[in-house]
Order: sequence, then structure tokens, then C-alpha cells
Amino acid sequence: MNWLDISSTAFIIAFFLYCAAFIFYAVAIGGKRWSNRDPEAHNRRWGRIAFATAILGWAAHLTFFFTRWAGGGHIPTSNMYEFMTFLAMAIMFAFIIVHLIYKNNLLGAFALPLVVIIVAYASVFPSEVQPLIPALNNYWLKIHVTTAATGEAFFAVGFAAALVQLLRVVDFSRTDKKGRREQRWTEFVLFFMVIIVGFLVAVFGFRAGGYEAKFQQESVSIDQQGVEHSKVQTVEYGLPPIVKPYNSEKLSMDAFLGMKEPLFEAPSWMNGVNAGRKLNTVIWSVLSGLILYAVLRLISRKPLAARIHPYLGDIDPEDLDEISYRAIAIGFPIFTLGALIFAMIWAQIAWSRFWGWDPKEVWALITWLFYSAYLHLRLSRGWQGTRSAWLAVIGFLVVLFTLIGVNLVIAGLHSYAGA
Amino acid sequence: MIKNTKCECGHQNPVGTVLCESCGKPLDPDLPLDSPLEMRYDGAARRSQKANPAVIDRIWNFFSSVKIAIYLIVLTLIGAALGTIYPQESTFINLDDPGKYYKETYGTWGTVYHALGLSRTYESWWFIGLLVMIGTSLVICSLDRVLPLYKALSKQQVRKHQTFIDRQQTVYASELAAEPNEWIERFGKQLKRKRYKVWTDGTALLAEKNRFSRWGPYINHIGLIIFLLAVLGRGVPAWHMDKYIGVDEHQTVQIPNTNYYVQNEKFTVEYYKDEELPDKLKGTNRAKLYRTDAKLYTCTKYCNDDPLHEPELKEVEAHAIEVNSPLSYKGLNLYQYNYEERVRLIEVKPMLVDSTTGESYGPFDLPMNDPPPSVEAGPYKLTLSAVFPDFGLDAQGRPMTKTRDPNNPAFVFVVTGPGLNEKGEMYIYFPMPSGDDKAVQKQINDSFKKLGSNTGRFSFQVGKMENVSFSQYTTYLNVRVDRAMPYVWVGATISMIGLVMGFYWQHRRIWLRIDDGRLSLGAHTNKNTYGIRSEVASALGKCGVAVEPKTLDNRRSSS
Repeated sequence: MNWLDISSTAFIIAFFLYCAAFIFYAVAIGGKRWSNRDPEAHNRRWGRIAFATAILGWAAHLTFFFTRWAGGGHIPTSNMYEFMTFLAMAIMFAFIIVHLIYKNNLLGAFALPLVVIIVAYASVFPSEVQPLIPALNNYWLKIHVTTAATGEAFFAVGFAAALVQLLRVVDFSRTDKKGRREQRWTEFVLFFMVIIVGFLVAVFGFRAGGYEAKFQQESVSIDQQGVEHSKVQTVEYGLPPIVKPYNSEKLSMDAFLGMKEPLFEAPSWMNGVNAGRKLNTVIWSVLSGLILYAVLRLISRKPLAARIHPYLGDIDPEDLDEISYRAIAIGFPIFTLGALIFAMIWAQIAWSRFWGWDPKEVWALITWLFYSAYLHLRLSRGWQGTRSAWLAVIGFLVVLFTLIGVNLVIAGLHSYAGA
Repeated sequence: MIKNTKCECGHQNPVGTVLCESCGKPLDPDLPLDSPLEMRYDGAARRSQKANPAVIDRIWNFFSSVKIAIYLIVLTLIGAALGTIYPQESTFINLDDPGKYYKETYGTWGTVYHALGLSRTYESWWFIGLLVMIGTSLVICSLDRVLPLYKALSKQQVRKHQTFIDRQQTVYASELAAEPNEWIERFGKQLKRKRYKVWTDGTALLAEKNRFSRWGPYINHIGLIIFLLAVLGRGVPAWHMDKYIGVDEHQTVQIPNTNYYVQNEKFTVEYYKDEELPDKLKGTNRAKLYRTDAKLYTCTKYCNDDPLHEPELKEVEAHAIEVNSPLSYKGLNLYQYNYEERVRLIEVKPMLVDSTTGESYGPFDLPMNDPPPSVEAGPYKLTLSAVFPDFGLDAQGRPMTKTRDPNNPAFVFVVTGPGLNEKGEMYIYFPMPSGDDKAVQKQINDSFKKLGSNTGRFSFQVGKMENVSFSQYTTYLNVRVDRAMPYVWVGATISMIGLVMGFYWQHRRIWLRIDDGRLSLGAHTNKNTYGIRSEVASALGKCGVAVEPKTLDNRRSSS
């Protein structure tokens, strides 16, 4: 058994331990009102079991990381798969730190599913060890990526606490306009997370079924000397093509539920061969997310937020506000150091300029400006509590866009980290 | 109307003071009555709160507002985001007609994007204006607050007003059976063990720690200002150079507008072998290394294009330039930027072959750059009559050179010597070993023969490979001078120190007074109220007052 085999085994173990830890946290919180038990003791006991499981999961995750490092010969933070697994590991680290300060089971119940989702998302990307291209072959790869991800991980924990806070304070007895709006938006955040789970279910479901379809697109471009170049690109779909790439031909396609031809073609402005595939993935995510959400709604018989809300009674919103703020306050200097200063130093060495307005750089700056605004707003009266929690949620969406969205939607110098 | 700003404790406060500078009594009648006090800047008056502002004061007031600062941050954020929708013009090295490019590539939206100037967002007046305004706001906000805060913190009174204590975030009040002076001493000791500095005034106590963390934000702002100024300083032309040069192997090229010359001794590109690649990537060209073995020279003599002399060069630095490893010499940096695989001859040593006798003469040296006007090969003299570095034919079918780069050189020689007529014989020679070139060479020489310019007696031959020296790659180096960089790093470092000071330590203060056997305690911190509550609860507990940390929270008991 070589390093890389140990590594992938450890990764699977970590994933299942995280899932188990999440379930134990859910039991700790949801099972308090089960008969013949003291709620306090139940919460404490299961909370301890859950935390121990989470720590074990993290240990397995660390094993994955270091054995992959040994087997691959370079720090595993060089492509999307490796970065996402590292981010999940960093979120666990941030969660452990914040948990040790505030010792609250609710945080675990919301941070762990986030970690599980990110680990699963990482597995969507090809997991082979790829040797480093010259631009990445530098010790700053270790320093820049790890610190930036750690900073972002604290923002993720801040997001988890803020989400609990929103679910905690949302008032389902209100029927006025403002109250309804609050209920709707809180539900929407949960809905959004269900969509992401829907995406994962769709991808892994069809992958397990071995689904495949192939398309070919010929594009013609004219270079500066006026010479015509035609380029034939093929693209593989892992999900049944509801949408095929713009101006493309079908090479092969497995039938799915009697569907033998793509239903639509991507609009012309999505001209890349991969744009069609991405659009198709988004459509599938929304579809399976909607089905999943409908099932959950049927089981819960009321909005998901209203189903979760009653279990959050024994923590004060002020504590959640503080946890969220604290996590962000811990993360902010680390993020500044890793995502901006170290990034600038490396950019100066590798690309000859410390700042070049590359989309990834700009979005790191946007994230930083956003959290700066958050920190300054907290100085103002009326911006603590719910409003601040919303900002923490939006902030994490900005982080996610910086990490994933920029690579999927906007290409740039960081495109090697893309899918 | 002139407001009376004298507190009941006798202290005269400046206009705009929220909490008496001396005893802490709330002075502003508009403050909400039952919520904890706003403790920002310890309630001290700021310059921006001056009555009857003049023009300067109005500008000052505008920039001193945190609200304005937040608006500026948000506007910058939105502007920066808009700039990432489509690639910026600056990402293209040569874009002749940006308007056309955006229109053709991105359609109507591209046209709109370019027309709005968003394709040059980060160089636009409004974006730079926003950054300058943020800089101004940083300076003014900081000055407006740090001075009053410094004054307020350096003259704190130990015995605070009862309302001040009762309306802190963290409060505790109860009857106390113990002897007040002795109890205060015990409590003070407990706090000292938690690294507080403790002052007492009879039965009143003030404990404080980590005051320095209050300066964190201001140090951070100073760092950011230095950073922004350094970035603006990069606009000074003498401080900044950004050029791209292409250097063939074995070639030495002057760096424009400098006294430096750079030589590309050898360029190496390596790809990963199949056994180093995972299955999916096998058979692909995955780059492993780009390296230019470079030497840097300074010119010591005949530097300014002296027509008679070659410049004299002195080697000052040698470095294997790789991506991530530039050559640096006295603020001049050379970065590996790009390369091109393009075979270019540097020098050939051909023989002159006489087909009538089968005898060959030479070899003679023929450098592609600056070939000598004439060379000798055996008894013959070859005079150069025309050079085409990049041979091509014009619309009328006449020979011409497409560029000045030696991509496909051709030489026209006039051969004179024994047994030849006085005018000599004219031959064209293509040194590149390509079939096409040889065909063209033959065609042209045949037409010379028809015109009577030669007899077809001579030809050129390069025998062995060692008679050819060529460059396989052209390396492209990015030449940079950036004299503002040290200030950029200094600014970033200061900023980082400020952030760490401000976020990883919290300024904590505890006020306590005992009046007629009744103890009142108030505590304040700018961050981490959770931490100060547990410290207060633990210190109280060790002095015989058992209390749950949570119950100390004033916000909660009041809500």
C-alpha cells in the first residue's frame, strides 16, 4: 500500500466520521426532549460524543493531507480538489478553535454539515495528483494558500453561527410584511444549501450509474494576421444533457428516461464548449434541489426554518452574535495576511507585479472590503444582531464566489485551479 | 445657544462630549435611558463635533464620518466587481482597437462595457478617486478619534459616576457584608493575577489591561495610508519601469534606456515524462520548467551606439531565471515571462564549392547579425551585395525582407577571384536547412544564370553540424524596476501589526465602587464581552461572591 492509497482511504474515513459527528450533534440538540432523560445531561453527553467524533474525523483528514503530501511530492493545495479538501480541513480547525472558546453544540450542528458539503464538493473534481506547473512550483504555494484558506475558514464558522442566529431570531408568529420577508429570506438560505446538496446528489448519482454523453464543437477564430483557425473541442457530460453546448454535434449519448436527444441548445453568448456543460449542471442542480426540497418540505410539513427554529431556544441570540463576530474578527487578520499580503509577495516573485487586477485578486480584495465594511458597521448602533448576521451570511457567499465562482465564471491567471 | 458642558463633578468638557471625561456621567440627554452606554472613544468629543463648522471643518466632518467611510468602501467594492465582468484592456499585450474587440467578442454588452469605460476600470479617474478618498478618510477618521481617545484614556478617574458603572455592558451589584477596603484589596489581587493593572481610590477601583490594543486600528490605518501612497508613488516614471524584451539564445541585448545588457546563454524548457503524470494526463505536454540562463552586463565604454566600436561590457550578475525566481540586481528585476520555439541561425561556417573541380574552399564565418562586408574563401573573395534577414517576395515578385528579425536570412554574394571575369559572379545563399529555401535558392540562382550574372559554377555547403550555431528558443523577459516596493511592504507590515494588535487582544476595564456596603461593578471591553464576563465572574468568585458569567450581561437582563 503506498502513500496515496492510505491517503484516499483516510479521506473516505474522514468523510464518514464528519457525517457521523453531524448526526450526533443533531441528536444532541434534537433529542433533548425525548422522554426519560435530563435535557442538560443529554445535550452534554451527545455533544461530547459528537465533538470527539469530529476530532477523529479531523485526524483522519490530517492523515489524508500529509500522506498525500508525501505521496505526491508537493503540498496538496494545487488544484480545485486539493484546495476544497484543504478548505474543509481548515474550517474544521476554525470550528475546533471557536468551539473550545464558546463550547456550544449548535455551532457544531451547523459547521459540520458545511464541512460535509465542501468535502463532497471537492470530490466532484478529479482527484489525481498532478505534478506542479512552473508557476506553482514555489514555497509560497504552501504559505499563501494555507493562510488564505484558514482566514476563509473562520469566515465560514462566522457564517455558520450567523445562520443559527438567523434561524434563532426569525419569528414565525409574525404575519406583517417585514416578518414575512424575514421568514422568506431565512428559508431561502436553507433552500440555497439544499440546491447545493441537490447538485452533489445529481453528480454522484449519475457518476455511480456511469452516465456519459459527448459533444463536439467546432469554433472558428481569426488571428491578428487574418488567418482562420478552426478548433474542434469535445466535451464530456456526466449529467444527461438537457442543454447541449452552443453550435455542437452529438458524438454519443446514453439514454436517460427515454431521453435520447438533448432538449435545448445553449444560447449563443455562451460560446465556450464548457459553458453549455456548466449551464446543464446548474439546471440539474436546481431540478434535483427542488425535488429534494419538496421531499423535505413534505416530511417537515412546514418551512424548514420553522422546523429547526424551536430547537434553538436555549442559546441567546447575543451569544450567537458574539460567536459569529469573534470568528470573523479572528479570521480577518489571517485572511489579510494570506489572501492579500502573501498573495502580493508571491505575485511579485512569480508574475513580476504585486498586484495586477486579475479577477481572483480583485475578488480577494472585494472579500476584504466587504468584511472591512462589516467590521466598521458593527461600530454603528443598530448594526449588531440580525443585520450583522445577514452580513456574515452574504460575506461567506462572497468568499465562495471568490473561491469557486471566479474559476467557473471568470477565467484569469488562477484558472489552473479551475474545474 | 451655548450649551453648558460642565459636569456636576466640576470638570469642564468640550462640546460634543458624550460621557464626562472625568467621572463618566452621561452628558448627552438624547442617549437612550435603559440600554448600555455607547463607549466609543470613551465618549470624548471629536474635532468633527465642533459647533459652527467652517468650510475646512465641513470637509473634515465629511471625511471623519465612519458612515462615509463605509459608503466609500462599498462603492469601491462595487466598482472593483464591475471591472471583473469582462477582461480588462490591460490584460492584453497588444490590442489595437479595444472597442472593436469588445464588440466582436462580447456583443452589445461588450460595446456598452467598453463605452462606459469599464474595460479600464482600475485606471479610471473615478476608481482612483475612490481610492484617494478612502485614503483621506483613513487619515481624517483616525486623527479625529485617536487624539481624544488618547487624552481620555490617559486621564482616567478611578471613582466613576454611579450611572456610568450601572450602565456598562457587564454589570454586577449587590450588598457586601465584608469590610470594603480589605475586600477591594483582595479583589484587586485577583485581577492582578489576571494581568490587570489596578488602581484604587478609597473604596473605588479601576482595573485595566491591554490598552495598547486600542491603538491597533490606528496603526493599521497608518499602514494602509503608507501602502496607498506607495501605490500612488509607482506612478512616478523614474520609479517605475515595465518592459518586455525577447532574447535569442547566445544573443546579448541592451535593455532599452538603461546601461544594462542581458545575455541569454541557454533557454531550457522541460516537460513532465509520462511516468511522472497521472493516467488522465499521460501523453499531454505538461510544463515542468522554463529557465533562461542569463547574464547581466553593464556597459563600461562605447555605450552610445558608437559606430566604430562595439560596446565594452562587464558582467555584473548571472542567474538562472525561472518562473518564481527572477534575476535581481540593484532594483532591476528580470522575470521569465514567455518563450517561443523558433529556430534562428546565429552563425554558419559554409564552404564555397566549385562544381567544375569538386574542390571546396573555406570555411568562412557568416554571422547572421552584422555580417562582414566581404570574406575570403581560399583564393576567392566574396563581397556581400544584399542581405534579407527575413526573406520574402513582394507583390511584383521581387525579393524583400518581411521583418528585420533573422527568421529566414538570405545573402547575395558577388564572388571574385582567379579565373572569373572582373565583374565576378552573383549567387544567393539561404543558410536555413529547409527544402523550400533550397528550392527558392536554386530558382533565383538559375535566373541569375539566365541573366548572365553567374555561370552556375559555385555553390555553398555547410558540411557538419558543428559549423552551424543556432538558437532554438527566444526567451521573453519582463524587465521591472519598482522603487516604491519597499514602501508597499512597509505599509503592509505596519497594517498587519495593527490588525493583530487590534483583533487578538482586547482592551478591558473594570470599575468598581462600594458605597455604604453596596457594591457596584461595571466592566467594558471593545470586543469579546464573553471573555470579560468570565474574568469578572471568576475574580468575584474567588472573593466570595458566586455569580454566573451570563447574569453579568447588562444587555440580556434589560431585554
